[in-house]
Amino acid sequence: MNLILQKRLGTFKMIFRQIGGLQIILGYTMALPILISLIYSEYYSALGFLISSLACIIVGFLLYKKIKNTSEPLTHHALIIAAAGWLSIAIMGALPFLIIAYITPVDVAQQFVPAGADYGSSIFFFKNPLHAIFESMSGLTTTGLSMALHVPTIGKGLMFYRSFTQLLGGAGFIVLTLALLGHSSGRIAYMLYGAESTGERLKPTIIQTTRSIWKLYIGMTVFSFIYLVIGTYLILPGYSLTENLFDSINHAMSGQSTGGFSTLESSIASYHSKAMDILYLLPMILGALSLPFYYKVFYEKQFSQFWKNLQTRAIIITSFFGSIILSVMLLKSGIITEPFRIGFFQFISALTTTGWQTTDIHVWDAASIVFIVLAAMVVGGAAGATVGGIKIIRVLLIFKGLFWHINNYFSSENAIKVVKFNDKRLLPDEMNKELANVATFAFVYMLFLIVGTLITYYQMFSGYTLKDALFESASALGTVGLSCGITSPAMSPVLEITYIIQMWAGRLEIIPILILFRTIFLGTKPTVV
Amino acid sequence: MKIIIAGDGEVGFYLAKLLEKEYQDITLIDTQSDKLAQVEKKLGIATVIGDSTSYKVLKEAGVEQADLLIAVTSSESSNITTCLIGKKLGARLTIARINNMEYLVDKDTLDLHDLGIDELISPESLAAREVKYMLKSPALTEIFNLYKKDLYMLGLRLEEDTSIVNKTIAESARLISNKSFMIVAILRNGKTLIPTGELQLLKEDILYFVASDEGKEKVLEYAGKKPIQIKNILVIGGSKTGKYIALRLSKYYHIKLIEKNLERCNYLAKEIPNVQFICGDGADVNLLEEEQISQYDAVISVTGNAETNIFSCLLAKDLGIKKTIAMVENIGLFDYSQKMGVDTLINKKMAAANFIFRNILKGRVLTQLYGIDAEIQEFILKENSKIINLPIKDLHFPKNAIISGVIRNDKGYITLGDFELKANDRVFVFSLPQSNKEVTSFFK
Repeated sequence: MNLILQKRLGTFKMIFRQIGGLQIILGYTMALPILISLIYSEYYSALGFLISSLACIIVGFLLYKKIKNTSEPLTHHALIIAAAGWLSIAIMGALPFLIIAYITPVDVAQQFVPAGADYGSSIFFFKNPLHAIFESMSGLTTTGLSMALHVPTIGKGLMFYRSFTQLLGGAGFIVLTLALLGHSSGRIAYMLYGAESTGERLKPTIIQTTRSIWKLYIGMTVFSFIYLVIGTYLILPGYSLTENLFDSINHAMSGQSTGGFSTLESSIASYHSKAMDILYLLPMILGALSLPFYYKVFYEKQFSQFWKNLQTRAIIITSFFGSIILSVMLLKSGIITEPFRIGFFQFISALTTTGWQTTDIHVWDAASIVFIVLAAMVVGGAAGATVGGIKIIRVLLIFKGLFWHINNYFSSENAIKVVKFNDKRLLPDEMNKELANVATFAFVYMLFLIVGTLITYYQMFSGYTLKDALFESASALGTVGLSCGITSPAMSPVLEITYIIQMWAGRLEIIPILILFRTIFLGTKPTVV
Repeated sequence: MKIIIAGDGEVGFYLAKLLEKEYQDITLIDTQSDKLAQVEKKLGIATVIGDSTSYKVLKEAGVEQADLLIAVTSSESSNITTCLIGKKLGARLTIARINNMEYLVDKDTLDLHDLGIDELISPESLAAREVKYMLKSPALTEIFNLYKKDLYMLGLRLEEDTSIVNKTIAESARLISNKSFMIVAILRNGKTLIPTGELQLLKEDILYFVASDEGKEKVLEYAGKKPIQIKNILVIGGSKTGKYIALRLSKYYHIKLIEKNLERCNYLAKEIPNVQFICGDGADVNLLEEEQISQYDAVISVTGNAETNIFSCLLAKDLGIKKTIAMVENIGLFDYSQKMGVDTLINKKMAAANFIFRNILKGRVLTQLYGIDAEIQEFILKENSKIINLPIKDLHFPKNAIISGVIRNDKGYITLGDFELKANDRVFVFSLPQSNKEVTSFFK
C-alpha cells in the first residue's frame, strides 16, 4: 500500500516540477504587458501585471527547484503534463485580469470608456475569478470568446495581454518552454512536443525544432504587423496612426495565432470598410497554414510546397469554395444585406479558427449555421498550425479512406490495396491504423461537440435555439471564437465551465484531457478494458 | 589483354567462358576453392582463391598488369571496394556490378568514375532495359542496336501464312526492292544456319536481320508482320528484374505485377507508383484466370525459376497473348523454350556480358544472341587491308560467316553482294563459332 502511494506521489512530483517550469516562463512573459501598460500610463494595470508575474515566478521556482529527484517521464506522463500544464497556466494566466479588476479604482477605469457611453468599464467583470479564467483560457487556447463586453474599456495593457496570450498559446506554451529552458533530454522533449502539437521534427533535436518554429512564428507575426499597418494606412488614411499601430500589433498577434481577440468594440466590423475586411483575410489564412510548411518554404527554399503541400492546397481550395457556398446560402436566406462580403469573411474566419467577426450571427438561418459549423469550424486549418478543429488533413484522410474502401470492391481479392496519401504510399495495414486513429479522434471530437451543444441548449437564455447552441459549442471546442451572443458575463457558471473545458480539450486535441481524467480516477496502472 | 574477373557467380562464370575464347589471359577470383577447381577444369583459366577486396589477393591475380578488372560478386559494396583498390594498384579499366539503382540515377553527383570505377553495371536493370526495348517492337523476338541508332540487329519468327514462306532467300528478295536490311542467320530446329541465296525459308524459322534505321520497318513488311499495339502488361515475379521492369515501364503501360511473397509484394507496392500488385503464385492457373490474364497484351515472366517463367508464357500464348517474354537464366533451356513458342527470352548474364562487350571492350567486339550459335564480331578496316575496294561477292569470304553491315562516317549501310568495303569502315560480321578464327585472320 505504501509502495503504491509512493509511486503515485512520484508521478505527481514529476508533473508538478514540469508545471513549475511552465509557470516560470509564464511569469517572464508578463514583463512585456508591464511595459505596454507603462507606455500608456496605466499604472494600476502595470502593478497588476507585476504582482501576477512575481506570483507566477515564485510558484514556478518553488515547484521547479524544490522538487528534485523525480523519475523520467513516460509517454502517458507527457500527455498528463500537457493537460495539467495547460490548465495550470490558464489559471495562473487569469491572475492579471483578477488583480487588475480589484486594484483599479472606478474613476480610473472610467477613463477607458468613451465619452457619452451608457455602460461602465468591462474590467470589473473579471472580479469574478471564473470570468478571469475563462478569458485567460480563451486567450491561451487561441479561441477568442470573451467576457469583456466592451473590449476597449479594459485598457490598453490588458488588451495587449489578451492578444499576447494568444500569440504564446498559439505556437504552444510547452514548445516555448522547451525552446527557452532547453535542457530536457531529447526523449522527454520529443514526448512533450508531441503531446502538445501535431508538428513534426524539423531539425535533428527537438530543442532546435522548437526554436526554429518560434523564429518562424514570430517572423510571420512581424510580417502580418507590417502588412496591417501599411494596409490600414492606405485604406483609412484618416485613422489615427497610434491607434493603427496598436490595432495592427494586436491583430497581427491574434491573427497569426488564429486567436481572434480584437482591440475594437465590435471586432473588424468596427472599421466599417469593405477593403479592411479584405485586408484581414490574409493574416487569417497565413495563420492557418502549418509551421512546418513555412519551414520548408523559408529554410529549405522549397517553393514548390505552395502547390505540392496537401494541407496548404486543401485550405486554399476549401476557403474559396466554402466561402462561395456560404455566401450563396446567406443570399438565399435573404437575411443578410451583404451576403458575399459576410460569407467570405466569416467562412474563412471560421475555417482558420480565428474568430474575427463582422456580423451578428445570431440572426442567420439554421442551414447557414449548420454549414459553417460542419464545413469550417469542425474542420479547422492545417495540422502543425495554431488552429483548432479536427484539422484538415484528418478530414482528407477520412474521405480518402472512404474512397479507398469503396474502390477496393473493384480490385481483385489478391491485390495489394495501396493507398496514396500526402505523397506517401500506405499499405492496407498502415492505412487502417491511420484511419482508426483519426476516426477515433473525430468520433470523440463529435461527442464533445454534441455534449457541449446539449449542455448549452439547457443552460442558455431564452431567445436562442438549438442552432445557436450548436454554433457556440462548436466555436469553443474548435477554438474559433465566433459568438452568436450566448457567451457573456451573465451566462450560467455551468455553461462557462463547460466552455472552459471545451476550449482546453479542443486545443490539446482531447486525448491528453481524457488521459488526465483517467489518471485522476483510475491512476496510471495499466488495466484491461 | 589481361582480364581479371572477381566473383565466380553466374555472371562471372559466363563472362569468363566467353572471354576465354577471345583473350588469352583471364584470371578468376573467388572465395570458394571447390568452385574454382571446377572452373580450372572446364575453362583452363588461372584462378586465385580469396576475397577480391584483399590487397594481397588482387596482387596475386596480377592486377598491376590488368587491362580490365570486372567485379561481379553478389555483394555490391565488395564490388565497389574491389574496383577502388584495383584501380589504385594499376588496373586500366574497372567495372563493378551493382544492385542499387541509386548509383546509376545520380551519376553526376556520385562521380564514381573519379574514384576509379569506369563503369557500373546492373544485370537486372539491363535485362529490364531489354524488355522495354522489346515492347517497342513487339512483333520482333529480339532487337538491339549494333551501332548507335544507325545499325540494328533484329530477330523474328516466321508465321505460317506469310508470302515468303517456302521461297528461297533469293526469290523472296525479289518481292521487295530494298537495300536497307539483310538476313544474317536462321535458327531452325535449334540449328543455326548462315544463309545463302538458295536456302528455302520455312515456317517457324527464326530469322535474324541486320537493318539500317529505315530497314527496321521494312523487315516487318517483308516478313508479313502486322504491328502490335501493347497497352496492358502482366508481369509475373517481383524479383529485382521485375521491380526494374515495373519502374521503367509504368510510365508507358498499364502494369499488373504478380508476386508470391507477401512481404516482397508489400515492399514493392510501397516503392513503385502506378502499378497494381497482386499477391499470389504466378504459376497458378486459377489465379491467372482470376486476374484475367487473357485481357493483357503482353506477359513478362521474370520469377527466379526459369521453368515457371516458360510455363507461364506458354499458358499465356495459349490464351492468345500477343507477346510473351520469359526470363531464362539456364541457357540450356533456350532452345526448348523457343521451340515451344515463347516469343522472347531474356537473360541477365547475357545482358551483362553483351553490355560489357558492346560498350567497354571497344575494338573487337563480340555479342551473344539468344538461342543461336552465331556470334557478331566487329572489325575496323585498316588502310592496308587487302579486302577493301572489292565487291563483297568477290572476296571468297568464309562459308559459315557473313559480312552484314558497315558503319561509314557514322552512317549504317547494309553490305549486299555489290558493296565495296573501304578503309576505316566499321564492319559487322556474323559467324558460326567454328569460323571465328578464319574470319579473324581475314581482317588481319
